[in-house]
This record gives sequence, C-alpha cells and structure tokens, in this order.
Amino acid sequence: MLYRTLIAAVLLCAGTAATTATAQESAAPKPWSESAVGSHVDQNELRGTLSKTQLHTLMKQGEALFTAKFTTVDGVGRPMATQAIIPTKRKRPLQQSFQRLPGTDSNACSSCHNDPIVGGAGDFVANVFVSEGFTNADFDTSDPQFSNERNTNHVMGAGLVELLAREMTADLQNQRRNALRSARSSGTPVKVRLNTKGVDFGEITAGPDGIVDLSAIDGVDTDLVIRPFSQKGVIGSLRQFTVNALNHHHGMQAAERFGARWTGEDDFDEDGVANELSAGDVSALVAWQATRKPPVQRTPESQDWRQLARKGSSVFAEIGCGSCHRQSLPLNSLTFADPGPFDAAGTLRRAEGQYDAVYDLALTDWAKTLPRDENGAILVPLFGDLKRHKIADQQISALGNELLGQRFVDRDVFMTSELWGIASTAPYGHRGDLTTLDEVIRVHGGNARQSRDQYVALGKNDRTALIAFLKTLVIEP
Amino acid sequence: MMKSIFMLAAGAATFVTVAVTEAQTTQPTAPETDIPVLQEQAVAAGIEHSYRGPWEYFVGGGAASFDCNGDRFPDLMLAGGTGETQLFVNRSSEADGLRFEPGKLDVSKSDLQNVTGLYPVDIDNDGHRDVVLLRVGRNVILKGGPDCSFKSANREFAFDGGRAWTTAFAATFEKDTPFPTLAFGNYVDRSAPGSPWGTCHDNVFLRPAKGDRPNYAEAEQLTPGYCALSMIFTDWNRSGTPSLRITNDRHYYRDGEEQMWRVDPGKAPRLYRRADGWKRVNIWGMGIAEGDIDADGYPEYALTSMGDTKLQTLDAEAEEGRPVYRDIAFERKATAHRPYTGSDLKPSTGWHSEFADFNNDGLLDLFIAKGNVEKMPDFADFDPDNLLLGQHDGTFFEAGHISGIDLDRRGRGAVIADFDLDGNLDLIVVNREAPVSVFRNRGGKTDWGTRPMGNWLQIELQQDGANTNAVGATILVKSGNETRLRKIQSGGGHASGHSGFIHVGTGVAERAQIRVKWPDGEWSPAFRVFANNFVIIRRGESDARYWYP
Repeated sequence: MLYRTLIAAVLLCAGTAATTATAQESAAPKPWSESAVGSHVDQNELRGTLSKTQLHTLMKQGEALFTAKFTTVDGVGRPMATQAIIPTKRKRPLQQSFQRLPGTDSNACSSCHNDPIVGGAGDFVANVFVSEGFTNADFDTSDPQFSNERNTNHVMGAGLVELLAREMTADLQNQRRNALRSARSSGTPVKVRLNTKGVDFGEITAGPDGIVDLSAIDGVDTDLVIRPFSQKGVIGSLRQFTVNALNHHHGMQAAERFGARWTGEDDFDEDGVANELSAGDVSALVAWQATRKPPVQRTPESQDWRQLARKGSSVFAEIGCGSCHRQSLPLNSLTFADPGPFDAAGTLRRAEGQYDAVYDLALTDWAKTLPRDENGAILVPLFGDLKRHKIADQQISALGNELLGQRFVDRDVFMTSELWGIASTAPYGHRGDLTTLDEVIRVHGGNARQSRDQYVALGKNDRTALIAFLKTLVIEP
Repeated sequence: MMKSIFMLAAGAATFVTVAVTEAQTTQPTAPETDIPVLQEQAVAAGIEHSYRGPWEYFVGGGAASFDCNGDRFPDLMLAGGTGETQLFVNRSSEADGLRFEPGKLDVSKSDLQNVTGLYPVDIDNDGHRDVVLLRVGRNVILKGGPDCSFKSANREFAFDGGRAWTTAFAATFEKDTPFPTLAFGNYVDRSAPGSPWGTCHDNVFLRPAKGDRPNYAEAEQLTPGYCALSMIFTDWNRSGTPSLRITNDRHYYRDGEEQMWRVDPGKAPRLYRRADGWKRVNIWGMGIAEGDIDADGYPEYALTSMGDTKLQTLDAEAEEGRPVYRDIAFERKATAHRPYTGSDLKPSTGWHSEFADFNNDGLLDLFIAKGNVEKMPDFADFDPDNLLLGQHDGTFFEAGHISGIDLDRRGRGAVIADFDLDGNLDLIVVNREAPVSVFRNRGGKTDWGTRPMGNWLQIELQQDGANTNAVGATILVKSGNETRLRKIQSGGGHASGHSGFIHVGTGVAERAQIRVKWPDGEWSPAFRVFANNFVIIRRGESDARYWYP
C-alpha cells in the first residue's frame, strides 16, 4: 500500500515537474518576441528575507527590466495618461507617443542612467523635464514656466541612501513622539531640536494638546519623512521613484498605482495593454537599484594626485563643504525591506500584499568593503546629509534658475547632492549645464554661500587640490 | 388608507424592480477597489445599548458623536427611546481598538428619556459641544462643559422645547449672528383630531435673540409641516446663504411633499414653490445625506425612503438658480430599493443616510441604515444596511454583505467617524429593539485578511468668537486635478449627527492643498499638507498644524 502510494507520489511529482518546465518554457519570451518584459515577476514569490540565490535572481530580473527597451507590446506610451504621479487622464490622445519634453521620453531606464555604467548618471542629452503633469501636461517648449529641466542622477548605492533615510525618518518621528509624550505628561509645551545622524533639521514644539508647531523645521517635510531621491529630495523611496519614472518616462504603468484598484481600470493609459508592470516587476527593479555597488573613493596611482587629493580633502573640510556634503553617515542595518516603512498608498506598502520581502544588502559582494565605526555602524560615504537647503541668493543665483516649485519645495531649495561618484558623473548642477567642478562650486549660493566664497578666495593651488580630491570620488565599473 | 399606501409603495418598488431585474440577474462582480472589512465589536468595545419603545419610537434612534473631554477622540451619546440616553466616553486607540466607558450624565433622568435623536453643536461658543436632544415631548439642550459634563440649558438659553414629537434637527450660523439658528422637525401631532393621518405638526424655527447669550425665546412656526424625519441647512446654490431642506414622511401627511425653505438673514423663511422650480416629490422621507459627489460646489442629496432611495442632483438643463433636481439613483446604481442579499425581495425601508469615504479611495461612498418600521408585512423583514461604494465611473457598488454590515437588525440612526483615529472610518448603527452595532473598520478585504487602504486626511477647523467649529464652512482638498469637497454641517441623517474631524480619503495622493471657505464666505490661503495626518487649521494662521493621537 505504502509502495503504491510512493509510486503515485513520484509519478505525480514527475508530472508536476514536467508541467512546470513546460509552463516556464511557454512563459519565456520567444527569440522573435517583440516584448521586452516577457513574463512578469510574481510578487507572491518574494517572501521574507531572500537568500543570496533568490536575491541574485531578482536582481537579474531587475537588471533585465532596467535595461529593457520597452515596446508597445509591453505597453510603452501613455496615450491617455499624463506624466503625473497621481493617475491623471489626458483630455485628448497625443499624436506622437514619444516626446522629449513631457515624455514619454526614453525607451529604457538605462537610456539615461548609463554613465559610466548602467545605473549611472546621464549627460545633458539625457536631461528630463519635470512637471507635475496636471495642468499644461502637454507642454512643447523648454520654457521653464512649464517644467524644470533636470539632469539624470546615478542610482549607485541607492539602497544605502534609502536605508539611511528610513533610519533618519524613524529617528525624527521618534523625537516628535517623545516630545508629545513629554508635553502631554507635563502639561507644558516641549521644544525639541530635531537631529539625526548628526544632521540638524530645526525644531518642533509639541503642545500638551497633541498639536505640533512645525514652523521651525528645516530641510525636511512637515511629516518628518526624509525623502532622499530626486535632485529636489521629494521622492521617499526607490519604489515610489520607480513607479513614478516608469509612467513618466516610458508610459509603463505599474498596477500598484495605475491598476483597477485605484483607477477602476486595468489599462488606465488606454494603450491596449492591461497591468503593464506587476508589483513583482517593480520589486525586481527596486532590488536591482538597491543593490548597486556604491561609488568609492579611489586611491590615485599618481603620487602627485594622491598628495593633492589629501590636501584637497582637508580644504574640503576647512572651508565647510563637509557641513552639508558630509563625508559619511552612519547606517545601523543593511536590511532592506521592500515595501519600505514610509510609503503612502499608491506605492506598495507593508502588509499590502500577502507577503513582504527583505533584501539583505549584506549579501552583496560590496557590503563587506564598507567601513564601520567603533559601534559597528556602517559608514556610508555619500558626501551628503539627505537634507534640503536653499542654494541661491541675490548675488549667486544660477542654481535658482527654476520657475516652478516642486511638491511643496521652493524653487531655489534642493537636496544636498551626494558627491560620491561625482568624478564619474559630469556634467553638474541640477540642470546638468555646468561642465566643471569648479563651475558648480562657484554657483553655490544661499546656505552654501559662505563655503563658496571661501573657495573662491582660496589660492589656485588649494582650489586645484579640492578638485583633485573630488576627482577621486568615482563610480567603479 | 394605510393599505393603499402600502400598495403604492409596493407599486413604486415593483416598477424599480422590473426596471433593474435584467441587470441584476447575476450578482455583480466585486470591483478591485478596496472593500472595507467592518467588524462588529459592540460588546468588546463596551457598548451595550438599545433603542426601544412603542409606536412613537418606530422612528428615531439617534446617535451623536463628538469630543466631550478634549482628547479629540469622538465620544458617543445614544438615544434610548423609552430607555435612557447613554453617554460613552471613548478610550480607543489604534493599537487596542475600540473601547468605550459609560459616562455619567448628571442631568434629570426624565430629560434623558423619550429621546428620539441627538445632535451636537456648540451653541454658546464656549468651546464645548452642546447636545440637542430630540424628544417625544419637550426637547432639551444639554450644555456641554469640561470633562464630559452636561447640564440642561433650556432655561439658560430661554429654550422652550415644546411638546411635540420631534424627529429632526438642523443648525446653522446665519450671517453676523453669534449663536446658531435652530430648526426642529416635528412628526405626527397625536392630539389633533383624526391623528395620526394628516395631522403633522408644524416645524419650529428658532433664531437667537440679540444679546450676548443664547436666547431662543421667540419661535417661528414653519407651516405647513409634513411630518419631518430629517432636515439640513444646505447651500444648494452656492449663494453662501443656506436653505433648510426637509424630508417628510408621506405615510402621514396629506397633500404634502418634500420641502425646502429659503432662509434669508433677518427675513421669515419662505418655502420654495413651483414658481421657483421646486418639483413635487412624495416619498417616505426618512433621512437626508448631503455630499458633493463631483465636487462642483452643488451638492447631491441621498433621500432615504421605503422602496427606492432618491439620489438627487441639480438638473443641469434647468434654468440657472432654480432648485430643479433630477434623480440619478438608478443610473448610478444607488436605488438600494430592496435587500441586496438574502431571499427577501420586498421593498427596503431606509433611514439614516450619509456620504463618507470608507475605503479612502477618494470617492464618496453612501451608507444607508435599513430596517422594517416594525412588522410591516409588505416590506422586507430582513433588510440589511447598505454600503454603497463609490466607483470611478460614478456608479456605486453594493458591498454591505462583503464588508460584514449585513446584520439582521432594524437600523435607524448612525454615526460614521474614525473612533480609534487610525485613519479608517468606523460605523455605529443604532438599531430598534436590538443592540447597537459597532463596526470597526479593519482595512481592505483580501483573501488572507486585510490590507491598508488609501491615503486620508482628517481636518479640524477652528475660529475665534462665534461658531468656533466653523459650522457652514466648506473644505476643498486638492491633489493634482482632483478636488474633494466637504462641508461642516449640523443636521441631516436620521436623528443623528457628529461633530469633529472631517475625514477625506485622498486615494493615492500623498499630499494635498487644503482651502477653506469660512462660514462668512472668506477664503483661506492654501494649506500644504501631507496625507495620513490629522490637520488643525486655525483661521488667520498661514500654516496648518498636525495633531497626533
């Protein structure tokens, strides 16, 4: 009896295996297929902390999507949807599906993020035109009253950046929570300086009635969520950025925001393709971006350069560049939960699917190369503070060249650019119209004015040293 | 006579039934929108209460929610009919769920009995919500004080209270008036010859006398009265001067109809007539819900009845400025004319109605409390409450049976509020001769449990001086090209009202701009806020503040 059961089980398993193999074979894109996406990644297969093999598989899927030149078979283009992050219908379909200004403006993520490697930055030709996409969504001019022209950032080390932002957000929100608790128990207002990882974000006053005065916060949104992505610092997570960008630049609409749950339609952009990207597809893209090797500080082979760079590093600190471009920020954990803890509806959130996934960045080859402090925290060498600052003033106003604020952030306020990889990612400035490091330093106004003035006042040798130092911050192939 | 009325009702319902039979041969497929799981937790929440009584209490069954102790959690007062009105103080939290403790009402026991409905409104501008008790007999105003204390204020406010059987209430702050104007809707005059048929009481209109204290000594009669079961001050034409809309029960009136009174400051109210464009509508009007489904500034109204619910919108083809309404309930799939589940196909009996966004998808949903009057054989006996979820195509989808509110109870009044302040609207339904239902909103239903739903905002307005809670204000919440509109009102529903945070679902919008049209017509600047926050907007301040539970 047992024997018969075993035979049956073996036959069943064999049959199942054969069926699965057949299914996989049929799901794989045929060599002649004009679909760049192929089969979709199943989010339900991403459960708990992925093993190294699972993570590697997901990264490969993400890389394939990042470099895929999406086609109309996949759903590229958005004839009846605008670039807006909130699903928004056009009033009439566009005649041309591709348009360099409001988009859709590229075939693949890697069409722009490719310098010096895939996942890198883009030169001026890869600039994008950022508008909210609600009114005047179909602008056909680069006149800055309709859009902000932005250069392409790199995503190397982006997982570390998001993890830092998550920890900082948790810190700030804990400080607010503690202030409220204290105010409620004491019956008097409690003023708290917001500080996380050594970065000051102003102050809040918690009232005993539970109301918080936010008028003195600095460089962070009123919900105290650090949004580390985009030049403006208004995107909270790789996942949110990915969903936004897929729609904006490719007209590839992720179901987790543009699907029937939120729009009542499974083909919101009306291009004939339903559910263009699954939650799993977005997860693959997030996993690939989150696991990009961070830029490094190279040790030049030339002794002259080494000496200059060493001196330049000192100059960098002496004139106060490091007060915003902080050499490193400490990170406590390499555990990258996807979805993350601070996204809002429209970007997949925790507990929104049956299972949540965790990508352990410690499984990457580069993780062990990261320096740690005496407490074991990883020192992420990003040369940034994940804080927004005013970067233009009356005299030095070149970086205040935008006419449109973005998502509640004023036109002349930007997030500190992380300098890691800067030697590999010219041109510079948020518009990518500054060809040298010297130029971009000289146009730092506003909160950076003092350091900029000190730089200008330096002797030529010191300025050269500073540039030599910055030239060591590279993205390695 | 009564029989013929039933036949009329059944006939009307049959017409609707025939008209929609084809479309309803199969149960509609559930949309992918989130369907909230509403879990009944009355006992666990500590609320044991029933609305009871003979014929006079076939109607009524109200609930009022408002914060009576300054912690911003909505507390609860429930009408008991011949039983006592009860206060429940909210001890809920997001972590522990819904928890209430009985509160002490230190007022005359007789004032707390024979209560049909209750509405909270801060009459004397002292920062504490007062509660208007609608009674079979003398109405009572309970003046709210610190820490959920109340005292009868009829004498202090020179409020007579009358002797009628009161079943409806609404309040508004008229222009340059420091205290609210109150309207009371009365039902059958039981002492009139021939009662109950054709003997509806007049309604009562109370403007505060001039002075620095509320004084309601002078009452005006709103004649004719047609047995009002709900009333609301509504700015139907965006004039800035609200009119008084009343839904009436055709079961008892003769030659009556639905009514709307034009209420110009300083002038006696006057009825809108045929010459104004007002059309005769005869329904068993039980409850009014006002909601601006398309946020065009002209509200829609859901009027509950026996048989089908009316969903009225201002007729775009009518001459501008005339109150001509078109019923869009059928085209929007919101007739709710018979039970949507079970085998009872007789017409429904609708009571409390209210628009709210239960799943935070940014679209207004419509809740309707349902239940047989008592044992009317021509109407459904099993008559579950409706949860009509707004859809992106403008229609509604019935999700009561999926969400879990389809209990076999005779619903009457209700309040929809976020009692645990977790961002999701909860629901409390007062049932006739049955326990109150307390539904906690657990999130969107899935195969494996629940999931978080859309983004939301909850907004509190404050202004100094009169009308501290800004009754009559309009709140616009704009995200991208989408605008959501809410009004702060006192009245409507069925014998039930709430005062506190105004909840707005924002769907996938993570931020929004809020603009407020204050009751005197002044517009605020735009306030920039992030979703999933409790927002306090204080008149005159340039920034909104956040409040945290």
